[in-house]
Amino acid sequence: MFDNFHRLTDVRVNRRGVIGRRDFLGTVSASAAVAGTLNWPALMTARADDLRQRGMACILLWMQGGPSQLETFDPKPGHANGGETKAIETSVPGIRISENLPNVARAMDDICLIRSMNGREGSHPRATHLMQTGYLPTASVKYPSIGAHAANQLADRSFDLPSYVRIGRGRGSYGGGLLGVEFDPFLMASATRVPDNTTVSHGDNRYRRRLGLLGKLESHYEQHGGRQEVGDHRKLVNAASRMVLSPRMDVFDIEQEPESVRQAYGDSEFGAGCLLARRLVETGATFVEVHAGNWDTHDDNFDRVRDLCTQVDQPHAALLADLKQRGMLDRTLVVWAGEFGRTPKINPRSGRDHYPRAYSAALAGAGVKGGQVIGETDAGGESIKDRPVGVSDFLRTLCQALGLDADIEHMSNIGRPIKVVDGGEVVREVFG
Amino acid sequence: MNTTFRYQWLAACVAVWMFAAPWLAQAADAPNPIETARRIDQLLAKEVGVGESAAGRCADEIYLRRVYLDLVGQTPSVEDILIFTLDPDPNKRQAVVERLLEDGDYGRNWARYWRDVVFSRRTEDRAFLAAPATTEWLTEQFNSHVSWDQIATELITAEGDVREVGSTGLIMAQAGMPEDTVSEISRIFLGIQIQCAQCHDHPTDQWKRQQFHELAAFFPRVAVRPKNEGEQRSFEVYATDFAPRFRRPAGNNRFRGTLEHRMPDLNDPTSAGEVIRPVFFVSGERLEFGTPDADRRGTLAKWLTSADNPWFAKAYVNRIWAELVGEGFYEPVDDIGPERECTAPDTMDALAAAFTDSGYDCQWLFQTIMATEAYQRESRSRRSPTETPFQANVAQRLRADQLFDALVNALELPRGLIDGAGARVGGPGGAYGVRAGARQVFSQAFGYDPSERREEISGTVQQTLAVMNSPFINGAINAGVTTSLGRLISQQDDDRTIVIELYLRTLSRQPSDDELATCVEYVRQGDDRREAFEDVLWSLINSTEFLHRR
Repeated sequence: MFDNFHRLTDVRVNRRGVIGRRDFLGTVSASAAVAGTLNWPALMTARADDLRQRGMACILLWMQGGPSQLETFDPKPGHANGGETKAIETSVPGIRISENLPNVARAMDDICLIRSMNGREGSHPRATHLMQTGYLPTASVKYPSIGAHAANQLADRSFDLPSYVRIGRGRGSYGGGLLGVEFDPFLMASATRVPDNTTVSHGDNRYRRRLGLLGKLESHYEQHGGRQEVGDHRKLVNAASRMVLSPRMDVFDIEQEPESVRQAYGDSEFGAGCLLARRLVETGATFVEVHAGNWDTHDDNFDRVRDLCTQVDQPHAALLADLKQRGMLDRTLVVWAGEFGRTPKINPRSGRDHYPRAYSAALAGAGVKGGQVIGETDAGGESIKDRPVGVSDFLRTLCQALGLDADIEHMSNIGRPIKVVDGGEVVREVFG
Repeated sequence: MNTTFRYQWLAACVAVWMFAAPWLAQAADAPNPIETARRIDQLLAKEVGVGESAAGRCADEIYLRRVYLDLVGQTPSVEDILIFTLDPDPNKRQAVVERLLEDGDYGRNWARYWRDVVFSRRTEDRAFLAAPATTEWLTEQFNSHVSWDQIATELITAEGDVREVGSTGLIMAQAGMPEDTVSEISRIFLGIQIQCAQCHDHPTDQWKRQQFHELAAFFPRVAVRPKNEGEQRSFEVYATDFAPRFRRPAGNNRFRGTLEHRMPDLNDPTSAGEVIRPVFFVSGERLEFGTPDADRRGTLAKWLTSADNPWFAKAYVNRIWAELVGEGFYEPVDDIGPERECTAPDTMDALAAAFTDSGYDCQWLFQTIMATEAYQRESRSRRSPTETPFQANVAQRLRADQLFDALVNALELPRGLIDGAGARVGGPGGAYGVRAGARQVFSQAFGYDPSERREEISGTVQQTLAVMNSPFINGAINAGVTTSLGRLISQQDDDRTIVIELYLRTLSRQPSDDELATCVEYVRQGDDRREAFEDVLWSLINSTEFLHRR
């Protein structure tokens, strides 16, 4: 829908660098430029339509606060740093993860673990921004998140609901950035309520009557200096009305799922979020974030992480099983990640502090080869022994799975070209 | 709480004591606003031409809504509109500007504007903690006639608890990082985007990477640190002139500050980098190594606000002109030089010079611009790049606070409902005990960065949904006996009178004959008179005209 609105507004002047007529050349990828002879619009349209038709989607399970890798995917039992956390077998021989994630352990055939994530940022907002956008925050350039890029490049233009949705009370103001507000995520504080302001309070008929009156009253200003403004606003009103009157609005009502499905996802808020994410992707959404937290366990790490894992473990596994059973896993990338990991050394308050030097993430679906581990930390989990994966490598790998062009450049408002992902290399092993 | 209040009270007294006297002295020599406005119109006509295609002078009721929104951030009351339009005084337009400039809401409106300028670009999310104190402080400055150079100086040299000392907002928004802070200082006060030169020489301007880091070298001793003792968690902007005990290898220490700034070696990013001396890139004036922080930032503020530095006046004049006339001499408003194209350089220079002569008097500039014909023309949609500039005023989308207050006026919402404590702010706010009232919730949904090109600010679907469908607004529109619409319908039998009243409350003007006929017809056709008027009011607050200042 947001994409559609954007197209309809005709991009008069290139809005913060969205693909528009004026800066068209600025947005053509380097790889496309090599192709040479094809004219640009034809090339871009062909590519864009191809991508949109494939219906690729992503569900990002965002572990806000920095989840402890030692209590989740990279346990170190037997080492002083490992603390009391035990490791358990998974469905894949040789891969052991924390006892806190028994359901995910049984789904390991579909999961590719990365145990060698590393960044440099140890502050929550900066590291979150880095993981979500690939850049550190600056005052002058508003970098789009990976979700905004996905909505921009992949979303179906005829979709009448939001393409990019964020579920949960997450921290962070990242979103459409220089791509424009139409690529900001649609925010939902909770998956158990329909989104704010989408319920028609006086019935559809009266709502349509109101829209009719509004349409008539707009014409005065339209003819007296407000032609452009009225035109733009009318498109927004139409898009908003299409959404609230859409027969697909039922997607937000997870109560419609059979009891067995709801039970499979569990009764946590995060479980409801995962179920809604599946429903949204099934309906046509492109990128859905489901937030869980707070993983910022500076004290009482072990009890708190155990509790958080209880909320997250079952829904994560249920989501993968559900997607697989519906034949959607091949085109849906499921990412489990947070902004950084936690210090291997346990602090005096039985907590772990911020640690960007070595942490874990988990991928599944969309061509990802499951049942494997990429990278390795040393015995105490303090440094990376093998195959480090930086944030740019990670984001580039997500782009690869989704079919996003990571090298497209968008112009910032002061004329600086910004790539989707700057530097980094695709982690090829992820795809087997 | 008491401490906060006392501090603000003291700060206010100091501000009045320090700045009132020089301001009064300068005002006597300030150029006459009306004469200056006439001269600006003449220069503009000479430079760009104002031909037959130019829009005519706007009607009184349009003018009144415009100046109210521009100065005090609200729509005029129905009484204000009637009194103004009936007033035969030929100088009533100047008179209303002068009156509103003395209204306390003038300072609040522009404080909120500058709060959005500063905090929209924050690189530290938790900087929102500083926003209330910054807004209060700026309100006080603008209402007390503190000049723009003094405000800039305070923002550059601030120290203290960010929840108590409002002038710390700009530094807090960038977490005290020297590079980010000076980038913002240059962007906001000079309209120069020197941060492009942080990693390489500026691609489209003359600035060198060295010059950027010489500017950052005014700020190495400043840092922001968390403050967890006491009743409320906060942050503190502080400066140190003593060598920190720990020094990171890369030189620039985020949390403690360092004595001198270091420019990273791009070929060897892990090395300490070259130690850089503070030099002001505009004038080339420099300070010695070892200069204490107070001198560094104080001197930077002095050089930056000096009458010899043309960028300081130009950046402010260009921005305020763009806000009022709807189109800047340079766009975006914070990217003016030196190698940028100006649509009317002589006019711009003349106005900036007169603003400097006024002693950087903010009120003087409003009076002057609002007296120009350029400001008073009817508004049109933004011109295409090939059309002549300044032939009409340009409609602007209301900022979040303006829209909120316009809704409060139109729906006559009770004050207690609005400014009382509301929902707890999600995300990081929880940990800091911050609660948001309806205004803040609204602000989060509708806020935008005022420095962005205005044609690039489009609404969002979620915003549109909020005005169309929120239970809060629908409840206020409801024509039950307790609401203002309900009372109006009970008291008044004549449908036409009610429609006119609703137009005055929302769009601050009378309906055209067509509009009146459409609405009256709609009410007559409906089964339920009350419901029909609810629909009329709903349509008016969802109209494009209501969401804009035309």
